[in-house]
Amino acid sequence: MIAPRPYALLAEITYRCPLHCPYCSNPTQVRNDQELTANEWTRVIREAAALGVLQIGFSGGEPLARRDLAELVRAAREANLYTNLITSGIGLDDDRVGALHDAGLDSVQLSFQSDETGLADEIAGARAHQRKLNVAAKIRAEGIPLSLNFVIHRRNIDRLPQLIELAETLGAERVELANVQFYGWAFLNRAALLPTREQVVRAREIATAAKARLAGRIDIFYVLPDYYETWPKPCLNGWGQRYLTVNPIGDVLPCPTASSAIPDLRFENVRGRALDWIWRQSESFNRFRGTEWMPEPCRSCPQREIDFGGCRCQAALLTGNAATTDPVCTLSPNRSVVDEVLRDLNSSSDHPPDWTYRINPNGIQ
Amino acid sequence: MQTPTIAGSAQPRLARGVRLQTDPQTGNSVLLFPEGVLELNETSMEILARCDGQTVSEIIQSLAEEYDIDPKTLAADVREALADLQQRKLIELT
Ligand code: SF4
Ligand code: SF4
Repeated sequence: MIAPRPYALLAEITYRCPLHCPYCSNPTQVRNDQELTANEWTRVIREAAALGVLQIGFSGGEPLARRDLAELVRAAREANLYTNLITSGIGLDDDRVGALHDAGLDSVQLSFQSDETGLADEIAGARAHQRKLNVAAKIRAEGIPLSLNFVIHRRNIDRLPQLIELAETLGAERVELANVQFYGWAFLNRAALLPTREQVVRAREIATAAKARLAGRIDIFYVLPDYYETWPKPCLNGWGQRYLTVNPIGDVLPCPTASSAIPDLRFENVRGRALDWIWRQSESFNRFRGTEWMPEPCRSCPQREIDFGGCRCQAALLTGNAATTDPVCTLSPNRSVVDEVLRDLNSSSDHPPDWTYRINPNGIQ
Repeated sequence: MQTPTIAGSAQPRLARGVRLQTDPQTGNSVLLFPEGVLELNETSMEILARCDGQTVSEIIQSLAEEYDIDPKTLAADVREALADLQQRKLIELT
């Protein structure tokens, strides 16, 4: 299949992070390589723009852990990209907001763990909540558009009304209430994080009502908990169609979770290859591009150009084979894997187990 | 469908955080905003290019002159396009 042009680059500039969220989608193990330098990133950004990319998201880890972030933002603006910072805010509570704004930063997506300090700091595994509130105020004062992001899970899903209220108070333009997706650390901690069916039903009602109430003021995006769905999410709008991710050490990924979820996929590195070649020619980008790779029931399914067979990483994590139908799909022969997880959780009255906090990759500098 | 009512004196501007630029791959105009990209058709592009402080009436007048169309015919289309962009929070009316 001929490669289309990509629209957005997710630049995971570091996996270091001062927080330890148990739902972090970062890989649980990373190679012990040097992070890309600012010069290398500048080259990647230019190559991405030449390929057709119009937007860049600086993410991590915590992107602010890199002191040269403003330089990278400037390089992205010079390449005419729309720049978005995806951050926990820790590291922004000094004069860096102004520097980033001057460099041309277009918008910030700030994540919160909860609305209450105690719970928020418990989830983050660090004292962070109060600092985040200050950071939100600084971003607003600087006039940069602000979106809030909450990862929703068993421990904070009942606080949806309060989370939305926090977004209102902080003057956010958008709020994303994203049910946790099970990759990386979240997959490891699934039993502690997956909400109950009852919680999910209630949350959906609250989100729908808030969306209507705040229409025109705050855009609310509610990301469904896909284990409880009947059809899979249209992952990435199709593999190798619109998005690419470059991780801290320069591996180019069709999807940010692919490096840990699909161990038999070999990724190319920007240190060895041009981005254009990787996007168009590499095995990793072509393996699941289009519909050729699909097994039944996807292959003959009318939905195949709509959901693309769901998520390859989820298929890999739940069935051991990335080239199968996403087990969330009700037509998947492996749907029972998901149903069993839901049955175990919803039939037990035990407390959820403790989670394991995300730790920082060692060796990465 | 009911014609959305936007006052002729309103001044549409790009919302904060929204950028209008040319897509070098296609030569067409696109709006860039936090969640994505909107590829513009010619009508929206011509309207947005005028969202620089001009009032809705002025925008209609200027388009009518450029395309040699009766402003009355144009008005409903322009208002509808603006209402749609406002709904998506891509423009603000002041
Ligand atoms: S999810 Fe938490 S631990 Fe992971 S990068 Fe984001 S803030 Fe850091
Ligand atoms: S069978 Fe495949 S293509 Fe059809 S709905 Fe399920 S995942 Fe989508």
